[in-house]
Amino acid sequence: MTNTKTVLPTEHCETCPAFTQLEQMGIKVGDFDRVIALAGNPNTGKSTLFNALTGLKQHTGNWPGKTVTRAEGGFEFNKIRYKLVDLPGTYSLLSASQDEEVARDFILFGQPSCTIVVTDATSLERNLNLVMQVMEITEHVVVAVNLMDEAKRKGLEVDARSLSRDLGIPAIPITARTGDGIHTLLGAVADVIEGTIEIKPLRINGTPEFQKAVNELVPMIEQVAPGIPNARWLAIRLLDGDARVQNALTSGELADIVSRQQRVDIQFSKKMSVEGRQ
Amino acid sequence: MSAELQSKDILAKAEALRNSLSSGFRDEIVKSLYTEAEHIAKRAVKTAAEKRYDLDQKIDRLVTSPWTGLPIMLLLLTVIIWLTVSGANVVSGWIAVVLFGIGDYGRALFNQIGMPWWITGFIWDGVYLGLAWVVSVMLPPMMIFFPAFTFMEDLGYLPRVAFNLDWLFKKSGAHGKQSLTMAMGFGCNAAGVIATRVIDSPRERLIAILTNNFVPCNGRFPTLIMLATVFVAAAFPPALTSFIAAGTVVGVVLIGVFFTFLASWILSKTLLKGEASAFTLELPPYRRPNVSRILYTSIIDRTIFVLWRAMQTAAPAGAIIWIMANVSIGDSNLARATADWLNPFGLLLGLDGVILLAYIIAIPANEIVVPTMMMVYMGAGMMINGPTSNNEIFDLLVNGNGWTMLTAVNLMLFALLHNPCATTIMTIYKETKSYKWATLSVVMTLGTAFVVTFLTASFARLMGWA
Amino acid sequence: MNFTYWSVVIAVLIIATFLPRVGLIAVYKTYRTAKDREQVEDALKHLLDREQQGRHASPVSIAGTLDIPLGKATQLIENMETQELLETRGNELHLTSKGERWALHVIRAHRLWERFLADEARMPLEQVHNEAQRREHSLTELELNDLDAALGHPTRDPHGDPIPTREGTLPKVEGMPITAWQTDRPVRIVHLEDEPALAYEQILAAGLRLGQVIRILEKTQNRYLLSDGETEYKLAPAVAANVHVAALPESEMLKREAIPLVELAHDQRGEIVMLDDAVQGFTRRRFLDLGLTPGTVIYPELQNFFGDPRAYRIRGTLIALRKDQAAQIWVKSI
Repeated sequence: MTNTKTVLPTEHCETCPAFTQLEQMGIKVGDFDRVIALAGNPNTGKSTLFNALTGLKQHTGNWPGKTVTRAEGGFEFNKIRYKLVDLPGTYSLLSASQDEEVARDFILFGQPSCTIVVTDATSLERNLNLVMQVMEITEHVVVAVNLMDEAKRKGLEVDARSLSRDLGIPAIPITARTGDGIHTLLGAVADVIEGTIEIKPLRINGTPEFQKAVNELVPMIEQVAPGIPNARWLAIRLLDGDARVQNALTSGELADIVSRQQRVDIQFSKKMSVEGRQ
Repeated sequence: MSAELQSKDILAKAEALRNSLSSGFRDEIVKSLYTEAEHIAKRAVKTAAEKRYDLDQKIDRLVTSPWTGLPIMLLLLTVIIWLTVSGANVVSGWIAVVLFGIGDYGRALFNQIGMPWWITGFIWDGVYLGLAWVVSVMLPPMMIFFPAFTFMEDLGYLPRVAFNLDWLFKKSGAHGKQSLTMAMGFGCNAAGVIATRVIDSPRERLIAILTNNFVPCNGRFPTLIMLATVFVAAAFPPALTSFIAAGTVVGVVLIGVFFTFLASWILSKTLLKGEASAFTLELPPYRRPNVSRILYTSIIDRTIFVLWRAMQTAAPAGAIIWIMANVSIGDSNLARATADWLNPFGLLLGLDGVILLAYIIAIPANEIVVPTMMMVYMGAGMMINGPTSNNEIFDLLVNGNGWTMLTAVNLMLFALLHNPCATTIMTIYKETKSYKWATLSVVMTLGTAFVVTFLTASFARLMGWA
Repeated sequence: MNFTYWSVVIAVLIIATFLPRVGLIAVYKTYRTAKDREQVEDALKHLLDREQQGRHASPVSIAGTLDIPLGKATQLIENMETQELLETRGNELHLTSKGERWALHVIRAHRLWERFLADEARMPLEQVHNEAQRREHSLTELELNDLDAALGHPTRDPHGDPIPTREGTLPKVEGMPITAWQTDRPVRIVHLEDEPALAYEQILAAGLRLGQVIRILEKTQNRYLLSDGETEYKLAPAVAANVHVAALPESEMLKREAIPLVELAHDQRGEIVMLDDAVQGFTRRRFLDLGLTPGTVIYPELQNFFGDPRAYRIRGTLIALRKDQAAQIWVKSI
């Protein structure tokens, strides 16, 4: 089943590295260097991108909730091996339905090196809501603006640079169906992971009273779990009364994340992948 | 420990802060997210024209309108089934000729080299014949049905079906997305049960799980198709055969849908009491399906997968039947004796003992019901090759084994309503994590099947039809 | 033979009677304990209720509320006194702090159950109270906290009454005398002052009730003219000062100028004003996540042949909603 055909870059751009190489590794993800999560609204072509990257043939039915569990696959890009985890499509990470919990837990506890949020260029407004929620959990986010061909057909002109500027993270226009832009996307992912480009994720502050409450909680959380990267988001979830986060806090799971992160990342990701396959 | 104390402090603090905030603060968070998203999107997207959803809208109007929506749905279902029936009929014959030919050759070869009769029998008349039957009966309908179905799925039509039928589900106290899971059930009920994860409310999800079996899966379609072709359609001129057969199968599917609504309604009035919960359903834009992907998905992921599963149970089932047919008890053999023993109960339901025996052997997979039945009918030791044409099947069943129209109709009903296969039962257990619901799924469907077939049989006898 | 038969029967009977946990006696004991607990808790609720009204319960009032003979009530009170749940001062009964904490626990349980039944089980609002009444006695503190978390820490029950917090404080409804109320915006009566009695009687005689929504029609030196939309009420300013009111929740105000989404005609566009307060918990989250936030433009695009559900275009996506959901989204036509 392993598919090792090499896909050559299908486009030329000034910012792309000259020799990008993508090798699809299908489900053979024995060893890998980095874990990438694939999040996004339903029907944005997440599975299509997943298939394009891994060479797997995950079915992509056009109905909401098609992917109910996580799928995993691997690929190699510029000599670095990646494991790709396709999360269920969700509108949000807040309402704790089963699929949202799977997606949220993986981004938070699975600690992927980078999360790609796939968005639909024809309805960005709805999709950006999720992007910003993911950005609250982790700074390592790249937005893939998918379905650029459909946007063009509908007479929409999408300026990914403007998006990128406003969000403070890379936003790459792609067409997963044809493979357009995928190399640029992977380049951006590598840049984000290696820290070679500056990211300044946009923060939504909400009302002043809410902001004040968040600011009171953040130092307390940082005290319990020193070095935690997303104390702000945790504070928001605690204010909201999120039972899962409350439990993670009391059980010490949060503090664990930090220590795990300081150990070798790969070990943990492997464990997750085993647990996730049950 | 101090860390323990600390986290408790944080929780207390968070609660205090939460209470100090105005009650709508959650709404405010989401609102500010969306407001920001709106600004960013507005800056990034330039719209050339205002008419954005033109074609989609026209199609949607058509497939959901009061006048055309329901007929289109029925028409699509009929067309898919007609394609399956008429196409499968032709191909099935060819495959049967080839596979049974190989069987003849193999048997002859074994005899030539002087194999003991029981090895030849066990391998060629048991295991091989079971496999050959399953492949020739199942492969053709699946190869047509799955791609057609996957095409509708990838196009984005399924959510429209859910939209059209939601009202009925609401009246039954169920969720509109249940029709999505039913659609998956056409392929495989176990897949349908897993697909119920799209339903958020636990109550409605359970209803969807328990009733999914009333949708005939691909393992049961061949039974329906064969009976519809051999019995119902045989009464009409040959030109109409495939239409009548397809119409009959559609009718059976509609009966299944009716029982789905009925069971959902009864469940939500009794065991799973409650009101219909919130229902939101996205109707995604239509997407042009990718033909090569459809073929790949439907042939590799679905057809081969399902067929392989069927073959795994068909081989041992074939062996068991052969053994049963060759263990003699007095004048008779074990298969006959068991079938005779089951016969009175079978007759009560308008079926017979052999059919019930076939269903017992076919618990691991419904696909092997017809092959099992045929093999028992064809009897012990003297197993000749299977009938390759509809006339031969008709002859074997009616003249050889006393079938009537009632047997055919009741077998279709029984195939539609009876208990889920072992895989589906296991899946139900895994999804609900409860023996109770898994057991109920069996008792409920089997009970329905017994009651319905008993009633139709009694009615038919009362009217003097059978 | 006969002897064996009878000894077996007797043995079975004995076992059935004395078996721990499932035996008849054990079951009866559990039942008694539960009944006793229920009675104590109902009495505690009654005491707290009275204290919140600024009055005190008496043995007679307990007997009346719990519908038990006076003798039983006295026994119950003695019992509760030994458990340090209440103190007797003359004929007045006072809750101890332990008693109050317990009472608040029961009220919290009751109102959280109501919230659960209304939001998650989607029971009709008029049945919610009775069902909650049955369930309120069964949960421990910890289980209650879990329920609270699962519901998203609601602050009010479906009837608008505040839910006590985990620490056992009951948020107070703030009100002010209607005479201090300046605008003509509608207000809700939150408290009727019963001192002096004469003024209180006049208020009651006029027909004003707690929870009523009224509006000041006219205010002169001699009288206040109030209206609830149907009836008009006249009060002297001194009497009116004893009617305490609070501003309507903002949602009530907004609702007055909006229509539910179901009523939006097929060719109309609407702008979301708010989600109804009745939409809580998971459903509210879902709605917000779909982008149904105030200010969003929404319009019906598809209708199915039964007329229910309808599909609406929201932020570029087509989303189907059932009628009862669309009835809880308030919009103004634009």
